[in-house]
Amino acid sequence: MTASLAIVQACTHCGLPVPGGRDSDFCCAGCEVVYSAIAEHGLAKFYALRETAQPAHTTGRTYSELDDAAYQSLHVSRDAANDAHTALYLEDLRCTACVWLVEATPRCIAGVREMRVDFGRSRVDVTWDPERTTLSAIARHLDRIGHAVHPYRGLDRDAQRRREDRALLLKLGVAGAAVGNLMLLAIALYAGLFGGMTSRDTTFFRWASMAVAVPALGFAATPMFRTALGALRARRLHLDLPLSIGILAGLTWGSANVIRGVGEIYFDSLSMLVFLLLVARWIVLRHQRRAASAAELLLALTPRRARRCRDGQIEEVPIEAICVQDLVEVRAGETIPVDGSVARGVSTLDSGLLTGESRPVEVTIGTAVHAGTLNLTAPLVIVATSVGEHTRVGALVNQIEALSAKKASIERLVDRIAGRFVAVVTIAAALTFIGWAIAGAPMAGAEHAMALLIVTCPCALALATPLAVTVALGRAARRGILIKGADALERLATPGTMFVDKTGTLTQGKLAVVSWHGDVDARELAAAVEAGSAHPIARALAAAATPTAPATDVHEELGQGIRGTVRGRRVLVGAPIWVRNQCKLDRGEIDRWISAVARNPQTPIAIAIDGVVVAVAGLADPVREDARAAIADLASIGWRIHILSGDDARVVESVGWQLAVSPSRCIGEVPPELKLSIVESERARRPVAMVGDGVNDAAAIAAATCGIAVSGAAEAAIEAADVYLRDPSIGAIAATARGATRTLATIRRSLELSLAYNLIAGSLAIAGVIHPLIAALLMPASSLTVLANSLRSRAFRGNS
Amino acid sequence: MTVLYVVLPLALLVVAGAVVAFGWTVRSGQLDDVDTPPRRILFDD
Repeated sequence: MTASLAIVQACTHCGLPVPGGRDSDFCCAGCEVVYSAIAEHGLAKFYALRETAQPAHTTGRTYSELDDAAYQSLHVSRDAANDAHTALYLEDLRCTACVWLVEATPRCIAGVREMRVDFGRSRVDVTWDPERTTLSAIARHLDRIGHAVHPYRGLDRDAQRRREDRALLLKLGVAGAAVGNLMLLAIALYAGLFGGMTSRDTTFFRWASMAVAVPALGFAATPMFRTALGALRARRLHLDLPLSIGILAGLTWGSANVIRGVGEIYFDSLSMLVFLLLVARWIVLRHQRRAASAAELLLALTPRRARRCRDGQIEEVPIEAICVQDLVEVRAGETIPVDGSVARGVSTLDSGLLTGESRPVEVTIGTAVHAGTLNLTAPLVIVATSVGEHTRVGALVNQIEALSAKKASIERLVDRIAGRFVAVVTIAAALTFIGWAIAGAPMAGAEHAMALLIVTCPCALALATPLAVTVALGRAARRGILIKGADALERLATPGTMFVDKTGTLTQGKLAVVSWHGDVDARELAAAVEAGSAHPIARALAAAATPTAPATDVHEELGQGIRGTVRGRRVLVGAPIWVRNQCKLDRGEIDRWISAVARNPQTPIAIAIDGVVVAVAGLADPVREDARAAIADLASIGWRIHILSGDDARVVESVGWQLAVSPSRCIGEVPPELKLSIVESERARRPVAMVGDGVNDAAAIAAATCGIAVSGAAEAAIEAADVYLRDPSIGAIAATARGATRTLATIRRSLELSLAYNLIAGSLAIAGVIHPLIAALLMPASSLTVLANSLRSRAFRGNS
Repeated sequence: MTVLYVVLPLALLVVAGAVVAFGWTVRSGQLDDVDTPPRRILFDD
């Protein structure tokens, strides 16, 4: 053996180490394509501008559907100069260099007029001359430089959102201008209070304050008034109701006092309150927009295409154009678009997303196949028996839509508290007035009741929760956890029963060699023979060892095994029966090995060399390393974990045993319809979280109190879920649940702080001893305490 | 202090002007995307 000095070479594009055995300057084909695309257009400055280096992803798609007349009439507009405009979503827009690279497209493709990137929305506005280039050519270029392209479907929604954003920003500006100037006037008034000021000057300043405050706040606080009114009409309580009462009481009473010429005006504190509230709302809105575009990007898949065989010719058509009895060609690696039966070809299917079954299924002529399953190894021709929403997957998707629409929004914790708060404060105000009136001072009573309404205005409360939630959602999003709104966060913070789908969450989601009996040297020979095959069993064996010599004369027998020659030795790998039938000699312990492997339960694969069976490998979907710790972690915050899977019952039980989940909580071979009814009956007793990725889980995800979809999930599952995890492991789920619990704890603490403050200020106001200066100091002080509490929360930070 | 009676309304007029100018920047869409322009100034071509 020759000793070689290992030099770790860094990929020229992304800087990651180049894997051993790869004779290249790049770590993967994606990086190589992107690097050459950048270099050939003279755009190497990209490498000087970029802030982060990550491996590139290119899809190599043709994007021909973007040139369809149907697509163009929907999404492309023309201007007076006959230039075409459209908007596209870009994946992986990470830093300044990406923006620069995309905006440099006009230098690479003749006919592209302009590219304008909106970094926050991952969107690019494209202007091009349709005479000189096509949209698909532009999309292919963007794909080659590492940004896969999706059609931008939300243009109308975007215009609507932009109007809302602008309206809020304008109100924020008006409130800001008002608060600054009212503070200046208030400083003059307070100075006059202690330093002496002629009553004529005081009156002038008070009238000036009113002239600024009433129109400015009347305009800036309209969002709160509107929600409060809407909530009243719907007979529901909302936090904006006590806020509106406080603001309106302050404005009216302040104005009355200005006109009367005596008593307190509250304009400075009120304007500060409205301004802070609008700032908080604006921050929340910006975060929501970002989360929404991330979720939309996941769903913005290009229209799906299928290849139809008609009169011996194959044509690519939209999936909606396929009719019953049509012949459809499905190549290896593609998803089957219709329910039907195989007309030509033999292949292996992965139906994991549809049924949860982890083992590949062999199909041949006549076998029934379902839409949504993945064709793994060889091309198939399929006769369609049902299409569109009549397929099994279509029916499931319809059911999911119905369930999602039914899901009632929960009453938020803050609104619940706001409801009680309104009741207590109005009753206290009424009692204050009556009390002082009985004591013979109705005027003072009115004043103290108003002071109570204003001083207890729950601004700290209104500020604290949205910020705590936004901080948590923002941090979670940076860690690859997309939470669809505050409701979902609250649902996740209430522990109950968590149903976990096995595939991909508890296990790694792909077959691997987990046991080996017999000759260890045979590993390398088996890996050499299997190196070129796409079958999942072959991939597992190929990954188990690094071949040192290539295999020749490789011949694959579908559904049986593979044969080949390595260094002059004949190697046979496959199903034990098939391998043993072709061997002259057989060792006695083979039976023992096979039964040991099958008991575990793993899939046995026999390996024979030169006609002698020498080894048996056991293949299974291995359990994730972090799964056991994560389940213990979830149990410690109160979740009961159940495994609910469509996979073989023995496999599910074995996974449960490895993770210390009791067998009574492991249910296997569950069809999608039963999953749904199990989740629904459990939800009648306690909150239910459902974790899954397949179409088979989607109905259960929609029905659960909190649905969680994990990376690689089917589109329907993502749409039905409240939480989407880019990292599919159960560890990320534990981190998310813990983060949600912490956020709710922070909110509770903020609420307690703000209620304690209101109790003190309120009793002072009832007694009529609150000095205006103390009120002016107490108000921002309480807001700041609560803000500090929200921001120092540990939820979703680091390794929480 | 009678000068206040002239200066204060004037100051408020200036504020009103600033608010109107801000309204114009918002309506003309200059504040729609605040993430990309700070990146774009790094390109020197």
